[in-house]
Amino acid sequence: MSDSLLQDAPSTAAHPLPDWFRKNQKAAAARFDTLPMPTRRDESWRFSNLKAVDPQDFAPARPVAPELAAALLSRSHGLKSPAGSTVFANDRLLAHQLSPALAAQGVLWLPIEEALQSHGELLKGHLLKNTPLLGSDKFLALHQASLRAGSFLYVPKGVHIEAPLQTFHWVAGSGQAVFPHTLVVAEEGSSATVVDWFKSEGEARNLSIAANDLVVAKDAKVHYVSVQDWSRQSVSLHSNNTNVAAGGAALHLGLHLGGVYSRSESVSRLEGAGARSEMLAATVADGAQEFDQRTLQEHGSPDTYSDLLYKNALYDRAKTIVSGLIRVAPHAHRTDAYQKVRNLILSPDAEANSLPGLEILADQVRCSHGATTGEIDPDELFYMQSRGIRSTDAYRLITFGFLNEVLDRLPHEELRSQLQDALKARLRGH
Amino acid sequence: MSTETISQLDVDRTRGDFHYPEQHTFDAGVGLSHATIDYIADVKNEPDWIREFRHKALDVFESKPMPTNWASKDLDNIHFDKIRYYLANAQRPTRSWDEVPDDVKRTFERLGIPEQERKFLAGVEAQFDSEAVYSNMKKALGDQGVIFVGSTDGLKDHPEIFRKWFGKVIPTGDNKFSALNSAVFSGGSFIYVPPGVKLKHPLQAYFRINAENFGQFERTLIIADEGSEVMYMEGCTAPKFETATLHSAVVELVALKGAKIQYVTVQNWSANVFNLVTKRAVAHEEAEVKWIDCNIGSRLTMKYPGVVLKGRKARGEVLSIALANNGQHQDTGAKMIHAADETTSNVISKSISIGEGRASYRGQVHIPKHLKGCKNNTECDALLINSTSRTDTYPAITVRGSGNSVQHEASVSQVSAEQIFYMQQRGLSEAQAMSLSVNGFVNDLVREFPMEYSVELKRLIDLEMEGSVG
Amino acid sequence: MSLVIHNLHARVVGGQEILRGLNLEIEKGRVHAIMGPNGSGKSTLSKIIAGHPDYEVTGGEVLLDGVNILGMEPDARSRAGLFLAFQYPVEIPGVSNANFIRAALQARLAAGEELEATEYYGDLYKEMDRLEIPRGFTARSVNEGFSGGEKKRNEVLQMAMLKPSYAILDETDSGLDIDALKIVAAGVNAQRGPNIGMLVITHYQRLLDYIVPDVVHVLVGGRIVRTAGPELAYELESKGYDWIKDELEAAATA
Repeated sequence: MSDSLLQDAPSTAAHPLPDWFRKNQKAAAARFDTLPMPTRRDESWRFSNLKAVDPQDFAPARPVAPELAAALLSRSHGLKSPAGSTVFANDRLLAHQLSPALAAQGVLWLPIEEALQSHGELLKGHLLKNTPLLGSDKFLALHQASLRAGSFLYVPKGVHIEAPLQTFHWVAGSGQAVFPHTLVVAEEGSSATVVDWFKSEGEARNLSIAANDLVVAKDAKVHYVSVQDWSRQSVSLHSNNTNVAAGGAALHLGLHLGGVYSRSESVSRLEGAGARSEMLAATVADGAQEFDQRTLQEHGSPDTYSDLLYKNALYDRAKTIVSGLIRVAPHAHRTDAYQKVRNLILSPDAEANSLPGLEILADQVRCSHGATTGEIDPDELFYMQSRGIRSTDAYRLITFGFLNEVLDRLPHEELRSQLQDALKARLRGH
Repeated sequence: MSTETISQLDVDRTRGDFHYPEQHTFDAGVGLSHATIDYIADVKNEPDWIREFRHKALDVFESKPMPTNWASKDLDNIHFDKIRYYLANAQRPTRSWDEVPDDVKRTFERLGIPEQERKFLAGVEAQFDSEAVYSNMKKALGDQGVIFVGSTDGLKDHPEIFRKWFGKVIPTGDNKFSALNSAVFSGGSFIYVPPGVKLKHPLQAYFRINAENFGQFERTLIIADEGSEVMYMEGCTAPKFETATLHSAVVELVALKGAKIQYVTVQNWSANVFNLVTKRAVAHEEAEVKWIDCNIGSRLTMKYPGVVLKGRKARGEVLSIALANNGQHQDTGAKMIHAADETTSNVISKSISIGEGRASYRGQVHIPKHLKGCKNNTECDALLINSTSRTDTYPAITVRGSGNSVQHEASVSQVSAEQIFYMQQRGLSEAQAMSLSVNGFVNDLVREFPMEYSVELKRLIDLEMEGSVG
Repeated sequence: MSLVIHNLHARVVGGQEILRGLNLEIEKGRVHAIMGPNGSGKSTLSKIIAGHPDYEVTGGEVLLDGVNILGMEPDARSRAGLFLAFQYPVEIPGVSNANFIRAALQARLAAGEELEATEYYGDLYKEMDRLEIPRGFTARSVNEGFSGGEKKRNEVLQMAMLKPSYAILDETDSGLDIDALKIVAAGVNAQRGPNIGMLVITHYQRLLDYIVPDVVHVLVGGRIVRTAGPELAYELESKGYDWIKDELEAAATA
C-alpha cells in the first residue's frame, strides 16, 4: 500500500543530501513497509478510529502552480515582525527570511533540506533521534522516508530571540500528502519561540504526517506552538518530541481546529535536574471530527517538573481522546508532574474519552492527574445572561474562556492574541 | 529492607499461614481437560445444562489469549496443566460445626470463624478447597424466605431463581478467567433475599485454600429482590506454599428495584496465590450496590468490581484499599457502566506500595449516548512507602453527550520525612509512625467499612508495615 | 415609571413556596431597602426578578415600566434595563473582565453595530478609577481568584457600565470589610439619580448607613410585612427580627 506514497520521495534537492540521511530514509521506507498497521487492540490506539487513517488514499504532494503559490504567500499572515519566517506549499519552499541581526549572532533558520546540505552534521545528532513511544512508529517511518519540508532553527549558546519564528505549511489540491518537520536546537542558556501554522487551500481531503524535535539544552528555553487548521476533510498525524536538559524549560502548545481525524502525540523527556516542560492543548471538535491525543511525560531524572493541560470543547458528533501518561523512572526522585484533562460537551452526541495514567517508580514525588467531563455551568450561563448577553453568545463566550485558559499560558502576547483570533473565528457559528 | 525481616514477616504476617495434611476423597487430578469437567459434573451429580455450560466454557477459555497486552506478564507464569481443579471430601456442607471434620474445623477455629458467627453474623458459609464444609443461617431468616446456600445446592434446589440470573451479569466469555471459572466452578454462595426483607446482620463466607498446586473457583450469585437489603462479607486465606496457587472466582450480584447490596471482601491470600477474580453487579431502578474491597495479600491480584447501572437513579460504589508488599502486585480497580438516566457512581481507591510492591489502579467509567443526569466521581490516591515501591493508574473514561458530569482525580504521595520525625520526637518508633501515617491515609475510607472489618484491617496493616522502614 | 412586583408567588422548581404574595413598587429615582431574617426569601426575590432557572413563578407579575418581564429570558430582562448585583458573583475562567463587559454592551447594540473600542475603554477606565480598581483588572478572568471586596466592586463596575434603569443589590455588604464597603457604597451612590430605581437587599443595617434608602421594607415568610422610612432599619438593628415576628404572631392570633 506504500508504493504510491514512497515513489516520489525524497526530493529534487539542488545539492545531494548527506549519506546518513539518505540511508536513514531508505531504512525508514523499509520499516514503513514491514511495520503492521496499528489496531485498536494496541493500547496506544485504544478508542481510535483507525479507519480514518489509510495512507493508501494519498500520494506525495505535487508542487502548486505559481499563481496559487503567490496567492498562498499573500495569505500567510503571521506576526507583524517575526524573527524569521518561512512558507511552504505542498512541501515546497515558497519563501524564507531571517532577521539579519540574528544571522549575525550565529542563529540558523533554514529550510530543512538546505540545512541538511549545509549543516548536515549538526542535524544528524537530533533529527528524528527519539524512538517513537506513543504508537505512530509506522507513520513516523513514512514521515522520515518522505521528509523534505520544514524548518530548522539553531540558537547558539546564550542567544535570546525575542520575537517568534514562524513557518506556514500549506496544502493545496486533493489526495496530497505532506510531511512537515520542525527541528529546534537551542543551545545552553538560549531561548526562542517557534510557531507552525498548518493550513489548507480549499476544503479537499489531504494527509499530513508531521513531526518535530525540540532539543532544549541546559538552561535553555523553547516555546513551540502549532496551529492545526487543516481542512475539515483532512487527516493529520503530528508527533512531537521534546527533550529538556538540566535547568531547561519547554512549552508546547497545540491549537487543534481542523481535520476529520487528527492525532497528536507529544512526548516530553525531562533529562536533567531542574528540567521543566509544559504541555498544552486546546481543541475545538465539531461535526464528525475526531481528535486523538496521546501524551507522555517522561521523567528520567530527579528534580524535574512537568505540567499538562489539555482542554476539549465538543460539538455535534465529535469525538476526542486524551490518553496521557506520567512516567517517573526509578531514581527520578522529587519529581513534580501534573496532568489535567478537561472536556466540555456541548451536544448530546459528542463523545469524550479520557485516559489519564500514572506510572510512578520513584520516591518523594508529587504527582496528580485529573480528568473532568461536563457541560456548561448553569450559574455561569445565568450570570452572563443577567448582564444582557444572549444565551448563544454566552455559550460561545464561556467556551472561548474555557479554551482560552490554555492560550493564556503562552507568554508571547502578539502570538497569543493571534491564537485567540483563530479560536474566535473557529467558534463563530456555534 | 533486609530479606531477613521479609521472611520473618511472612511467618508472622497472618493468622492464615498454617495448613494441615490433605485427605481428599474427591480429586479431579492435575491438569484441565473435558474429562476434568465430566469428573466434576459427575461427582456433583449436576443437571445436563450445567455440564454443557461447563464444556462450552472450557472451549471459550482455551480460545481466549492471556490479556498480557495490557496486564502483567506474570500471568504467563500460571501453569494451567499443573493445577488441581477439584478437591473435596463431600459435596454437601453440614449445618453444624460438630459435624465438620476435625482438621478442617481446627482450621476455621484458628481463623476465628465460629466465634464471629456467634457474635455478629446472620449466617456463615465456610469453604475448604473446592466445597463448602459448613453452611448455616439464623433460622428466622430462613422463615422469611431468605436463601443462603452453596452454589451447588443453589442450582439444584432453587433452579427457578438460579438459572434466571446465573451467568447473566458476567457472561462466560467476559474474560479468560471468567471462562475458566465457568468451566470448573465449585463452591461459593447462592443468596436470594425476598422482596422487602432487610437483613440486619451480615452473611459471611470464608474461603480457605489448604492444598498445594490447587485452584479455587468459587461462584457466587446474590439476588436482592425489590426493596430488600443484604450485606455479604467474605474473607480469604491460604497457607504459603512454594508453588503457585490459583484463585479465580466469579461473583454476580443482582439488585432489583430499590434493593441494596453491600459486598465486603478482605482478601489476605498468601504471597503465592494468583487471585484473578471477576465481580460485577447489576443495579436496577433506584437500587444501590456497594463493593468494599480490601486486598492485602496474594502474588498478583486482578480484580475490578463493577456495577452496571441499569435502572433510573441506580447507584454504584466501589471503595477499595490495596496494599502491595514486596513481590506483590495489586492490580485492582473499578468499572462503572451507566445504562440509565440519573445514575450515579462513586469510586474511591487507596493503595499503598511497600518495598518493591506494585499497586495499579484500572478504572472504567462509561456513560453512553442520550443519557441525562449521570454522575461519576472517582478518586485514586496512592501512597509510596519506599523508594523502590511502584504505583500506576490507568483509568479510561468515556462520556457521550452533554448533561452528565464526570470527575476523576488521582494523586501520589509519600509519608513525609517531617511527619515521621515529628512522631518520633513524640516517642513513637519509626515503624509505629509509619503505621500511623498509613492508617491515617486510609482512615476516612475505613470509616465507611463495617466495624468488625475495620478493626481487622487495621491489624493487618500494622502487620504489613512492620519492617517496612529502615 | 417603576418596577412593580405584584402579588408574586414563587418556589424552587418542584419545591416549597418561598414568596407568598409579595407586593412592592420601586420608582425611578428612589432607593428601597429590603431587610429580613435568614430564610425570609430575600435572595430568592432577587433571583426570581432576574429570571434564574432554578425558580418558578406560580403567581403574580413583575412589571418593568409597565411590561411584564416574567416570560422573558434573563438576558432579555437585563437588556430591558434590569441589573442584579449578585451576592455571590460567578467566576468565569478564561474570559477577561474587559471582554465580558464589552460583550454585555455589544449585546445592547443593534445587529451590525459595533462597539467603539476607544470610547469603551475610556468609559471603563473612568468607572474603574472611581471604584479604585487597578488597570490590571481588565485582563483578569471574570471574578476568578477575586477577593470578596474585588468581586463586589466588579458588580458595581458592571452596573455603572450597563446603566440599568432598575438595580437590585443582593447582600452587597456581605464579605466586605469597612473600607471596601465605603468604596462600594460610594460607587453605588454615584449612580443614584432620577434615572434609576434601586432595591438594596441586606440582612444588616450597616450597609444602609452608607447607602441611605428612601424606604425600608421588612420581608418575613415571603411577604412584605412592614414598610417605613430609614428609621425602621435602626429599630430592627436594636430590637432584632424576633420583635416583628412576635408582633405578627400576636396580630394573627388576635
